Amino acid sequence: MSSDVSQAIAVSQQVATGDEETWSGIPCKEVYGPEDQRGQVYGDNVSDPGTFPFTRGIHRDMYRGRVWTKREVCGFGSGKDTNGRIRYQLQHGVTGLSIIGDNNGSLGIDADHPMGINDVGMQGVSVSSLADFEALFEGIPIDQISVAFDRAGLDCLAWMALYNALAEKRGIDKKKLRGTIQNDTLHFQFCGFGNSCPVDLGLKTAVDIIEYCTIHMPNWHTGNVNLYDLRETGIDAPQEVAFGLGCAIEYIKEAIARGLDVDSFASRRSFYCSAHVDIFEEVAKLRAARRMWARIMRDQFGAKNPKSMHFRFGVHTAGVSLQAPQPLNNIVRVAYEALTAALAGAQSIHCCSYDEPIGLPTEVSQTIALRTQQMLAHESGVTRVADPLGGSYYVEALTNQIEERALQVLETIKEQGGMAEAIRSGWVSSEIDKAMLLREEELTSGKKTIVGVNVYRQPQEDSTPGGLHTAPEMQGQVLAEAVRQLRASRDNKAVTNALRHLYAEAKRGKQNNLMPAMIAAAHTYATVGEMLGTVRHAFGYSYDCLDQLQLPPEIAV
Amino acid sequence: MKLPSSSRNSQPRILLAKTGLDGHDRGMKVVAVFLRDAGMDVVYMGVHCTTEAIVRAAIDEDVDVIGLSSLGGTHIPYSRELISQLTKDGRSEIAVVIGGTIPVEDIPALEAMGVRAIVRPGTPREEIVSTISSVVAQSRSVRADRESVAKA
Repeated sequence: MSSDVSQAIAVSQQVATGDEETWSGIPCKEVYGPEDQRGQVYGDNVSDPGTFPFTRGIHRDMYRGRVWTKREVCGFGSGKDTNGRIRYQLQHGVTGLSIIGDNNGSLGIDADHPMGINDVGMQGVSVSSLADFEALFEGIPIDQISVAFDRAGLDCLAWMALYNALAEKRGIDKKKLRGTIQNDTLHFQFCGFGNSCPVDLGLKTAVDIIEYCTIHMPNWHTGNVNLYDLRETGIDAPQEVAFGLGCAIEYIKEAIARGLDVDSFASRRSFYCSAHVDIFEEVAKLRAARRMWARIMRDQFGAKNPKSMHFRFGVHTAGVSLQAPQPLNNIVRVAYEALTAALAGAQSIHCCSYDEPIGLPTEVSQTIALRTQQMLAHESGVTRVADPLGGSYYVEALTNQIEERALQVLETIKEQGGMAEAIRSGWVSSEIDKAMLLREEELTSGKKTIVGVNVYRQPQEDSTPGGLHTAPEMQGQVLAEAVRQLRASRDNKAVTNALRHLYAEAKRGKQNNLMPAMIAAAHTYATVGEMLGTVRHAFGYSYDCLDQLQLPPEIAV
Repeated sequence: MKLPSSSRNSQPRILLAKTGLDGHDRGMKVVAVFLRDAGMDVVYMGVHCTTEAIVRAAIDEDVDVIGLSSLGGTHIPYSRELISQLTKDGRSEIAVVIGGTIPVEDIPALEAMGVRAIVRPGTPREEIVSTISSVVAQSRSVRADRESVAKA
């Protein structure tokens, strides 16, 4: 017994000293003071919130003007299943929706694809056609609520087409549609779905969406560059900023090459960032990103409108920081990360649910995540003052250091010809793999402490606290059958004509915007797999990214 | 631990793969590297594999263990498919081990269908290595028994 106690005391003592460096390995002094700000003039790197270079925030009044949008990523089963959860969320106080599709959707294939039967509706909502969007948004006034689509691959083109078709069917003015599509096809290479979204075709479809929305949907965010997913791979804070901005730069370049004026579209670009576990480093990271983006937009792209220079961002608390052992502890981790997001001036926040390392969130766990945001926004006082950490000797020094490191990485990317080229060459993959192994080493060696994992372990729980979200038996078969029935009952002549038209439009080349032909096809209940397969085929890729299905011969005429 | 050497060499051989559409491959990559560093032969198949392809590769590559990585909630149907495919091919001594986001509630069902070990998130590296080593030893002793019966 006494040896157990001694061992426990030894463990506690071992972790009883503070770190000398940040999560990302930036060495820190014991204390920071005025000497760390010597030579810096207020108004240069750091100025009032709402003024260039926006280090302290993109709005002067910050959360007094409007508190961040409270979203909780949602999607499972059928459109109808997710619709039920959306209504529940709205009744409990979310101020925006965030819809995630399943893996079939990520790959751009339908619910009845031969390889996808077990995945249908598992990690997101199953969407194969307009019928699914009609069920998903049944009774939801899409002209009154901001909707974020958690989609990043070629399927963005399909989801935007479906949403437009839905709005047209309901007679809604598209200018009233507010929301976001991630539309970050470059980062999608690192989400395990690479084959489904070739770099060049992905850049083309991303710009199609930017161009279409700029003209027709002025209140829509045309792309939410996903730094978050990149960070989840294990890269550090400066790399997150540099890789993310590296991707963002490519879209701006491509959109300008399409003929768009930078100020016509850049104010509707946004970012999706991680709030990882190191509170001050993460605040510094987001402040540095704001400053860097403002300078890139002004100096590299000649933007004139200050809004084009704004680094608008949503935060997703770090899923990778959540642990399966002792899962209720994750509630606290998420709360710290949400606090970090608020201190950094996020425009929207998604809080993870504590059970995410175990399964899809339950209603209970998702409600706690939402309540976490609500307590933060309305009880803690954190919304009172813009950039409350601005001027902190430590945070300002850390902001400078992260910027310096991120600029170095960006320079390396630039030397390689930009992010798209660095992805094609495999450089980004190798950086990510290195980081992944480093993180594992830190965990195993105990260099990074994770409570409940490498210290303070407990025996495994007998059951998941709060219960489990379980998919109904045969969910895949049921949803696949619904798609087969749709194929049998729709006007297939209209579908074929619409897909032929889409094919012909795609054959007209990269510069030709496919959104109108996609929307027309969506109206006929052509499926996501048919539409995207047609586009893939026209650009010389396999119709089906999993090589199971072929382009119907009547389309390519 | 001494391993019976029924394979062409005595290093444990493990195949790592993901079935279905899930793309979360970071865990599997990390495990691949440290199993290799622990002296095992790792056959890395990556994502989007069918169970037929996995079993074919497992037999062709003469592995002791198939490590299935699952973070998409599809561990039950795919484990069932994998094990029934192995049984059909008369190779049920090839052990199936699962790693990933497996709810503790699903463990009895997975064990009942014959999954030999379940590695949940947060399991230390050395524990994963020793779990795989003991599964390999079991698998080889079953195989050695069968081969000696066949000879006799």
